Parts: sequence; structure tokens; C-alpha cells
Amino acid sequence: MAKYQIKLCERQLEGGIYLEEFKYISNAEPCVLLETPAILSFPLNFSGGGPGDSLVQVVDRVSKGTPIIQCVSGVIHVASRSGVVTALQDHPITHPSARDSKCILVETDGTDNQDYLPPLNWPFNTATLRQRAIEAGILGLGGAGFPNFKKWSDGTQILIINAAECEPYLTADDTLMRIDSRSMVRGASILSQTLDIKKVIIGIEDNKPEALDAIKLAIGESQSSCSFEIVLLETKYPSGGERQLIWLALGIEVPSGSRSIENGILVHSPGTLAALSRAVDGEPITDRVVTLTGDLIAHPRNVIAPIGTPLLSLIKAAKTDPEQLDSITIGGPMMGYSISEYSAGITKTTNCILARAPTKQAEGPCIRCGACAAVCPVALQPQQMILALRGDSLGQALHEGLVDCIECAACNVVCPSHIPLAEWFKLGQFKQHEKDLEKKLAIEARERFEKRNQRLARIEADQEAKRTTRRDKGAIALTKARQSREKSI
Amino acid sequence: MTDEITILSAGVLVLTLIGLSGGALLKFASRAFQVNGNPLIKSIDELLPQTQCGQCGHPGCKPYAEAIASGEAINRCPPGGQETIDRLAKLLGQDSLPLDTEPDTVLEDLVAVVIEEDCIGCTKCIQACPVDAIVGAAKLMHTVITDQCTGCDLCIDPCPVDCIDMILRPKSADYWMPSQPGVIVSDRSGRIEMLHHG
Repeated sequence: MAKYQIKLCERQLEGGIYLEEFKYISNAEPCVLLETPAILSFPLNFSGGGPGDSLVQVVDRVSKGTPIIQCVSGVIHVASRSGVVTALQDHPITHPSARDSKCILVETDGTDNQDYLPPLNWPFNTATLRQRAIEAGILGLGGAGFPNFKKWSDGTQILIINAAECEPYLTADDTLMRIDSRSMVRGASILSQTLDIKKVIIGIEDNKPEALDAIKLAIGESQSSCSFEIVLLETKYPSGGERQLIWLALGIEVPSGSRSIENGILVHSPGTLAALSRAVDGEPITDRVVTLTGDLIAHPRNVIAPIGTPLLSLIKAAKTDPEQLDSITIGGPMMGYSISEYSAGITKTTNCILARAPTKQAEGPCIRCGACAAVCPVALQPQQMILALRGDSLGQALHEGLVDCIECAACNVVCPSHIPLAEWFKLGQFKQHEKDLEKKLAIEARERFEKRNQRLARIEADQEAKRTTRRDKGAIALTKARQSREKSI
Repeated sequence: MTDEITILSAGVLVLTLIGLSGGALLKFASRAFQVNGNPLIKSIDELLPQTQCGQCGHPGCKPYAEAIASGEAINRCPPGGQETIDRLAKLLGQDSLPLDTEPDTVLEDLVAVVIEEDCIGCTKCIQACPVDAIVGAAKLMHTVITDQCTGCDLCIDPCPVDCIDMILRPKSADYWMPSQPGVIVSDRSGRIEMLHHG
């Protein structure tokens, strides 16, 4: 019987907006298991965890759980159903770049062959758990796809479960918590006991009463010795941003340029922890909850779908004609991206398929109203940053704090001129990232150049010294020889 | 009268002491915080691209930085391009200049690759590489560490069998860059209604 405390959040989110809620569209129906589609696709370089290499070849047989991709970060992605590898070729991917990339295509055979890992026996240490996370393909399932086992370090004091899910249409985490809070609580307990974390905080918005009840029940039933604290947040976008949630739950502001983990705070999504719990039992990530929603979806609901399922199968599962949809949004309306190739397979971070009637609004000029600055949760001046970025002055945008932008797009929503501010900021951050990389390589090149010059100078000096000694010795010997020759004459 | 003289001499004494101690402090500070070399050279070197290509006529970026500090033109660095010139101009308070190159100079981000089956293992390119980005041993195949190559092309000429090519720097397999907003119309934000904000 683990104990928990429920607290109302005492703090207010700086900035942020109250959005019209559309969660009711998808969370009224029960969640269903999707039928195994005929073809699954797994992108080598865009499955999360960085670029990867294929571990299988064409005509190899795979089972549910067979490792198929190894990423540079170490993460291993597994096949989500059993079948045969039919091709290793360019194929559309579920990614904002909207391009084709090399994918492993698996034709499923409808059998339920499994290729799982052996269960881990408690007690185990951080290294063992990290190794298991790598083998089970665990990534940040909240959206970023960051290989989050890298964040696990000793000296972490607090684990925060980010159950805020503040995007107005998304109900994937809500659904997961309703049906499987036990795994989430167990995952959190395993992780916190392994890393010796004293406190687990669950940050959840107050629009998810059913999930909250399920969490309470799961904590009550668990044998964990952790102390749980549930913080009820006001439903205000973007309370689920990592830094925003830390501020709301703890009153700590993570400084700019520093990561939350450097401050002893670990943040995970419910999905990640539930997956970790299953991974300890030997089951790698093969499925995820996906929300199908929007006014163009005939039968909105949540489904549990195998990773790699084509978007087409999901749209059809929602009894919608894909021909009718020009494009769909992957993720929420605020931070998602649009895609129009429905043969692309879902990845571990695909949490929502949103189809809405497009309303195109012409972009107007910035009238300097400052509405964007009022809603910015990071207290930036978006109107200044956009001015700098449009003028191709990245340096000025950085000066205005571009790197701290979380791309929440609250500014887009309030902008009376419909300027896509967040898109500009995203582009700016990508450019800056590229510049940083160039700078890093330049510094390394300089170091090597200087070391090389020192080395060459040292070698030259050594050789010169050797030559001098030899010449001196030779000169002495020569003098002696001459003298003795003269004497003998 | 004597009182006034006492006060006056005390004042002179105090001021002299303050002056002396201040002088001693300054002397100490000038020793303790002495800057070796010209700090300007370091700032200039920071702005140069560190390709060590020698296209400016100097054997590396630092020597060119030293030359700029002593008055050489700031527009002799093709890999740095116009951006570097602009930054140097800002740093030095000069007017920006156009790049001083042949009109058809290619300003692309290139890297060297060794055509490995043709390499005879002569080590000449290894000796030419200013940033130690080529590995190999005598009579054994050499190869370029792509990430560390600055694209200076100093290895091309020494190669006796012409087995080094310059190619466009390959991007990481998961590289992508968002498109400029407005160029491609997206319906991403079919508009969300805000209730109110506080």
C-alpha cells in the first residue's frame, strides 16, 4: 500500500492561454486494439534516437520483439509484429520533413510469434536498467523521442511524471492512464528505487478526472515504498512544457542553458514509464496509444496500434475515407506538423492523428500589439524575435532569447495578424543549432592545428639537437684523428 | 598659525600616502593581470573559420589573424565568406569589403575523400593535412575522417596518384531543416479558439 498526497497547484503559469477543449471528441469511446496491418514500415534514421543501421536483411523472418534497427545512440528498435522483411527502400515517413527515407518494410504474417527479452530480477542497478531500456527501444514517448535513459544518473532527487497533456485535442496519455496506470506507477517505482529517488510527483491537469481516479487506485494497490505526490494543475496551455511543469510542481525555474536533470529533476511521460515497466518484464516497445480525432474523423477514438502501422490503416480504423482528407496533422494542433502521405508508418512518438477542416487565414503585417509577449510562457518578446529573424539577423534573435523558446505556439494563436511565429522560431533554432555545430568543429580544428604545429616544432627541435650533438662529436673525433696523423708524420 | 601648518602638512601627508598606495596597487595589478600577446589576435582568430587552408596566403588561420591585427586587409578568407568579413569589419571598426577572390571561386562546403582502391600509401597527404584529419600508415591505405576535414584541399596537390576528390560535405542521415514559413502553405493551425487569457 503506497501512500499519496494530492495538492492543488499553488502557482500560476506565467503567460500561457486558456484554449477551447476538444478532448471530449476522442476520449468518450473505449480504446480498442487495432488489427495488425498487412505492411509495417520502420524508418532507419527517423525512428527516434538518431540515425540507425538495419540489423536485418530482405527475406529475413522477424517476430514481435526481434531487433531490427540499431541507432547511433545505442537504442534498438524492434519489429512490432511477426512477419517477413520484404524491402529495405525509400518510403514515406511520419516526420515534419515530409520526405521519403530508407525504411524497413515488414509484411506481417498474422501469427503471434514473440521474441522477447528475459525478465529482469530485482534488485538491479542503474547500468542494468539502462541496458534494458536500450534493448527495449525506450525513448521519450511524450513527443521528443529523446533517448531518455541518458538522463538517468545517480544524484537525481525528484521524478516528475508529466501527465499534463495540455494540447487541446490529445487524449493518448489520458487513455493510457485510464487503462494502464498500474504500469505507469510500477515503472515510476522501479526507476525511482533504482536511482534512489526519494519523491515522485505526478503533474496532471484538472481536466482528466477519470485518469486521476485510475492513478489513485493504482498507487493504492502498489507495493512501492516511494512517496507519491499528485499535483493538480489548472488546465492552461502549455502547463505540460517540461520547464513549465517543473515550475508549477516545485516552484523551481530551470535556468536558461541548463537541463532539468542537471538540477536533480527527472521528467518522464506516463507512456515512457509504462513502457519501462513492461521492458523489465522483457517486453520491448511494440505498440502505442494513438488518438484519432478532429471534425473530419467520422469515428474519433483512441487505438492501440503497432509501431510502423501505416497512417492509412489508422484513418480507416476511424471509419474515415482518406481520399477526403487533403492532409492530416500529426500531434496536437499547437505543436504538430501536417503530412499528406498516408502510407507512412507511425513511430514511437506519433501520439495523435488530427484531421480538421482547414481554415486558411491570410498573414498580415505585425501591428506591434504585443499580444504574443503577454502569452509567452518563457517571457520572451516574440514580436522582436520575428523582426530579427525576418531580417535574417539570427544574432539579434538570440539576443532576444531565441534558444529559450519552447515552440509552444501560444503566440501563433493570439496573433491578430495570423503570423506563424512559432514556425519562424523553430527554423531559427535549427539554424542556430547548425551554427553551433560548425563552431564546435572549428574549435576542434584549431586545437588539432595548434597541436600539430607544436608536434612538428618539437620533432624538428629534437632532430636539430641530434644533428648538433653528432656534428660536435664528429668534429672532435676528426680533430683528434688529424692531430694523431700529423704526429705520426 | 602653527595649527594651520600642522593641518596642512597632515593633509599633504595623507594625500601622498593615498597616492603612493594607489601607485603600488596599480603596479601590482599590472603585473598580476598582465595580458600576454595581443588580445585582438585572439578575437580575430575566433571569427575565422579554422579551415587552415592557406588561401589567404598565410600558413593557417592564426597567422592570418596576426596579419590582420597588424593591418592586413580583412577580405582574404574565402571559406569564411562575406559573413566573416562583415563580422571582422564590425570587430575592427572598419568598413566591410567584398571578398577578394577569383570571380569563379566555388564557395561550397566541401570535404576530401580518398578513393581507397587507388591509394598507394605514400603518406604525402597525411603530412599535408593541417588539421590531422587523414589517418593511415606507409604503404597502407589512407582515409579522411570526414567530420574533421575542413575542406582546405591542401592534400589534393601532393597526391602522386590523384586519388583524392573533393565532394560536398555529406549531411547526417537524419538531417533536415524546416522550410521557411509562408513558402509552403500549411493548414497546421486550422485555427484554435482561445477562450481568454490571464
